[in-house]
Amino acid sequence: MTSEKPDRFDRVDWSAYEGSGGVDPSVNTVGAIGTTLPLVALFVYDRQFVGEREATFGAVGLEADWSGLEYLFAFTLILFVWYVLVPLYQNPRMTRYYWREFTRNRPAVVSLGWLLVVFVGGLLGPLVVSAPEQSVLAGHQPPVYLSIDTANVAQCLGEVRGGRCYGTWEYPLGTTRGGKGVFRSIVYGMRISVQIAFITTTIVATIGITFGTVSAYAGGWVDEAMMRFVDVVLSFPTLLMFLLILYIYGAGLGMFIVVFSLFAWGGTARYVRSKSLSVSEETYVSAARISGASTTRIVRRHVVPNTASSIVTQLTLLVPGFLLAEAQLAFLGLGDTSLPSWGQLIAAGRSDLGFAPWIVVAPGIVLFLTILAFNFLGDALLDALDPEAAAEVER
Amino acid sequence: MGLPRYVAARVVWAAVVSLVIVTITFGLMAAAPNPAVQEAATQAALEGGDPEEAVERERELRGLDEPLHVRYADFLRGVYTLNWGWSDLQNRPVSEALSEALFYTAQYSVPWTVLTLLIGPLIGVYSAANMYSWRDHLATGVAFFGYAIPNFFFGIILLLLFGVYLEWIPVVYNTDVAVFSLENARQLAIPVFVLVTGSIGAIMRVSRNESAEFRNADFMKTAKAKGVSPLRAYAYHVMRPTMVPLSTTVVGQLLAIFLGSSLLVEVVFGIPGLGRLTFDALIAQDTNLVLGTTLLFTFVAVVGNLIEDIVFTVLDPRISYDDR
Repeated sequence: MTSEKPDRFDRVDWSAYEGSGGVDPSVNTVGAIGTTLPLVALFVYDRQFVGEREATFGAVGLEADWSGLEYLFAFTLILFVWYVLVPLYQNPRMTRYYWREFTRNRPAVVSLGWLLVVFVGGLLGPLVVSAPEQSVLAGHQPPVYLSIDTANVAQCLGEVRGGRCYGTWEYPLGTTRGGKGVFRSIVYGMRISVQIAFITTTIVATIGITFGTVSAYAGGWVDEAMMRFVDVVLSFPTLLMFLLILYIYGAGLGMFIVVFSLFAWGGTARYVRSKSLSVSEETYVSAARISGASTTRIVRRHVVPNTASSIVTQLTLLVPGFLLAEAQLAFLGLGDTSLPSWGQLIAAGRSDLGFAPWIVVAPGIVLFLTILAFNFLGDALLDALDPEAAAEVER
Repeated sequence: MGLPRYVAARVVWAAVVSLVIVTITFGLMAAAPNPAVQEAATQAALEGGDPEEAVERERELRGLDEPLHVRYADFLRGVYTLNWGWSDLQNRPVSEALSEALFYTAQYSVPWTVLTLLIGPLIGVYSAANMYSWRDHLATGVAFFGYAIPNFFFGIILLLLFGVYLEWIPVVYNTDVAVFSLENARQLAIPVFVLVTGSIGAIMRVSRNESAEFRNADFMKTAKAKGVSPLRAYAYHVMRPTMVPLSTTVVGQLLAIFLGSSLLVEVVFGIPGLGRLTFDALIAQDTNLVLGTTLLFTFVAVVGNLIEDIVFTVLDPRISYDDR
């Protein structure tokens, strides 16, 4: 946005409008491309030079082996840094304003804190905490300060008092039947959740915004056809379609993310379209057009920024749905059982619920808190980013 | 465009959508190897027969050797004449299995929907009338809690608490009890409660925010000035305009929860309804039954959206039919 306002009309920087015809990559685009290239190089290296069963970073002595999903995740992180975090830094005045509005809602700040914990835990946790390992002898250990009847454990790792086995700090949240640490599993589950959140958000936002603006600007029968297509997408029973695909082809996390995000952008597209139509009636858009700005430029500089607030809100409310769907599928035993997600953990503990409830309760509460945090965050963002909505409520 | 034409156009459109979904379903099924055929091959190989021959026989038996367009036409005819094939799992026609499952699903779906539609808007408007009081905060808290807690997780916890520890409710669902009996009410109370808490939050929030707009509207001031009681003012002047935007979101949200949660809730509580049937069919690889349940849910969704659109235009005369 040409945010620096010249104090006099004859000092307007017309070159800002003239450049719209050609390609003028911003710092963000350059940065994003600059950081994506090494990622692509790594991907090519991984596919071409590293053996099928070898770890991606074997050459530098790391165990991590990256799947296609990890590359996609890294790419979305790059986009997030360059198109969300850097712009916030570039516009310190607006950032301070948003932050002030945002901090007025105290539950939302707490929620943001919790989501940051999940995000950092998912990103760095697997580097710090070692992966949960099977060990049958350490099965059904209770969390610290809690106890379980010794009849239910093969071997008690903590102290035994009065026929009850007490938990140890080695497994702060106890263990599953197979002896996997619940705490470690939750940390690894954070990574899955963060991946789901980032990748789906990127796909939904990209398709939704593109589809909505193109539809609004194309107009006529193209618009009509595109919106009818959105109707189909919206009335598609995604979960059932996913079950059908799962039944026929089998599906892992990648397929889950693709199917769910490919059928979730309908609402976003519809919203962006109606907002684009109303924004294009505004006088500032007419002014930009008279000044010679091209449609592309108007869309990028005026329409998309003006729809951003609602898109962000919508996405924060969409992500918990995805997390929930993953957990539900995992619970039904229809997910990828090798995946250390929260849902899998809940599913794993279901049969032992009677005497070892922590296996279900701990990841369940984490999942609950995360979904709750997203809801509070969405509510607060709606007020912070959209002053009209806030004014409406306070009126 | 008048109302009748608009309704007609919507109905035609709903038919088109259902056709698209059925076609995609067919495409998915046609593109993939049929599990039954593979099973026949494995069976033949195990018994020392020729797997190729067994595959041929099975394909012929199931009509898979015919050209694609013939199979597509057959499929469409079957779907739209409700001739949904034979379920190997249940050993009876799919439509029969579906109608029986529907009977159990309806037993908890009907009370759930009625309760949600009654309580949700009421609490929402009440919340708006007492905005920023502790009652409003309590209602908001309950709404968020119900919305955020995963239904299946909540179900398990309640079942553990009331079924296993307190023994107030039966842990295993009993299909023998009469529909309108105390026993049935007792065993369905927790599933209905879980579903209501899950779906009420969103409706409460929408009706709260929508009615907040009308709270200080001019017509409310007029009503207050001429001495209308607050109860009547809210019931007549706030509730009605609130219902319009609410009706656009209600059906979609209820359907989403119906599709997703009925599966989970039925599995958790052991209710032999539609969701459970879908799940069993998936596990047992019963293609016809999987297809049948998928199509049934799809048709429910399409018809639900259709009704929602029509109700919306009937409720709000300001909406022009050309708009959509």
